Amino acid sequence: MVRYWGTLALLLICAVLFGACAGHTWVTPADVLSAAMGDTSMQAMLLREWRLPRVVAALLVGALLGLGGAIFQGVFRNPLAEPYLLGSAGGAALGATIALLVPLSLSQSFALPLFAFLGAWGATLLVIGVARTAGALDVPTLLLSGVAISAVLGALRSFLMLALSDETVSLQVVLSWVLGGMQTPTWGGVGILAALTLVSLFACIALAPGLDRLGLGETMATAYGMDVHRFVMLAVLVAAATVAISVSVGGLVGFVGLAAPHIARWHLGPLHRVVIPASAAIGAILVTVADAIARSALPPAEIPLGLVTAVAGGPFFLLLLARSRKW
Amino acid sequence: MVTLKAQEIVVRLQARTLLHGASFTARRGESIAIIGPNGAGKSTLLKSLAGLLRPASGSAMYDGTSIASMTAASRASVIGYVPQHFNPHWDIRVADLMQISLERSRALVQREMLDTALRTHDIGPLRDRWWSTLSGGERNRVLLAMVLATEPPVLLADEPAANLDPRCKLEMVERLSAYGRTALSIVVMHDIDLAFRYFDRILLLNDGRVVADGATAAVYDAPILEDVFGVRFIRTEHGNVRTIHPGNVVSK
Repeated sequence: MVRYWGTLALLLICAVLFGACAGHTWVTPADVLSAAMGDTSMQAMLLREWRLPRVVAALLVGALLGLGGAIFQGVFRNPLAEPYLLGSAGGAALGATIALLVPLSLSQSFALPLFAFLGAWGATLLVIGVARTAGALDVPTLLLSGVAISAVLGALRSFLMLALSDETVSLQVVLSWVLGGMQTPTWGGVGILAALTLVSLFACIALAPGLDRLGLGETMATAYGMDVHRFVMLAVLVAAATVAISVSVGGLVGFVGLAAPHIARWHLGPLHRVVIPASAAIGAILVTVADAIARSALPPAEIPLGLVTAVAGGPFFLLLLARSRKW
Repeated sequence: MVTLKAQEIVVRLQARTLLHGASFTARRGESIAIIGPNGAGKSTLLKSLAGLLRPASGSAMYDGTSIASMTAASRASVIGYVPQHFNPHWDIRVADLMQISLERSRALVQREMLDTALRTHDIGPLRDRWWSTLSGGERNRVLLAMVLATEPPVLLADEPAANLDPRCKLEMVERLSAYGRTALSIVVMHDIDLAFRYFDRILLLNDGRVVADGATAAVYDAPILEDVFGVRFIRTEHGNVRTIHPGNVVSK
């Protein structure tokens, strides 16, 4: 167990270093170090103001996705559950489309994360509200409401894209955001993101004992003194906020939130008190590396991050799946 | 004082009435077997005693307090419930199952507590085994250990021995009834013979009603058993072991 945490920490450091070195111009680890120490050369300034905040943001987005995925899989007790399950992807994409296509008096760098966050968070609240009026807050009702709301939101977004795009606004902008539009924040933005990630981490870890109980089944969890519906509601709200924060900076990055909790579980067993932090670390490693590839594989262009995570992550996950005996 | 009292419990599921006012009182030191044909309401009665089902009317009372009005946590601290089917959603180690089970009464579980609980319930050797690798008998032993880990004053069990081999079954039924020596043990039993051999008191249910309730020896000879189950029973005595087995079907 201790060795596993050590390995994760080492991998995380390597991933950050790799991310800092990678880009359309590659630099050496020594350059990164001198930039971090406050060197005033042009290259160091560029690294410090552009690349390093992006690397840290990618790391934090990955951690948030790992957390969201672990909570959703724990709540729905379904290995296919992923962070965008309850409409947050559709909501975020709709919000981002509005921010990108509708002329607003807000600056886009401010409107985009804000609208993506509101879309993701609002969609999940809508799903919960619909599930509640439809009868019960049980797992199947929530999942089906999520599917229905996602379909409606997706259609709305398609309509907006058709109706609002003209020669001046390119659909490509919207499309590339939907495929994983990682933003490069300022250090101030990174600071806020880091603080929110930390809050999410603690909130998720606080849910761990409840998720472990829920893993025994609803009957046992109830017999063990748990108000299952209330807990599910609380956990979904925490996870949805976590995912909405990640979406506001990282756009839609598929696959990481699905894979990270599984990788954690294969090595550490199913207890959420270890799966949740491990999943955050694994998500951070995956997105940091994927973002480095996205920035450096086809210079000077950038590949949308979501494409990298799917193309590179899919086969990698299958390989791990084939090799793991425990699931 | 440990008293569990069912007062005219009525449970409805949509248009169907599953329990038509079941009443009885049980005290510490009793081991009670609930028997009855399929659909008689045995599991429903047990669930409403455990607070897992809310009665349409009537109530289950623990020491004078309605179980439905108790907080989930305080209900869980006095009632241990063994479900008919249990399967964790993730494959998990026995030690972790016990850890989660102990945590329902105390937030922090020390290593010694875990070791003691594993030893007390005879599952020490299973400690590091994964649930998926356990045999049916081992799974039932672990499940019972999980529920009894916090030593609840009331044990409610729903036929946990139904599909075990004879030895495991006898051991399980023995454990369940033995818990009633120091606490209160109420077990839904499908095996009528074991119900009569291991428990002090029999509660016979039919069509959502308690139709017989008494000391095992008194119910053993009662003709109502034949009426309720619709079979003729063969009762035999070997020394001081009295057995009862279904013989042939009685036409109604």
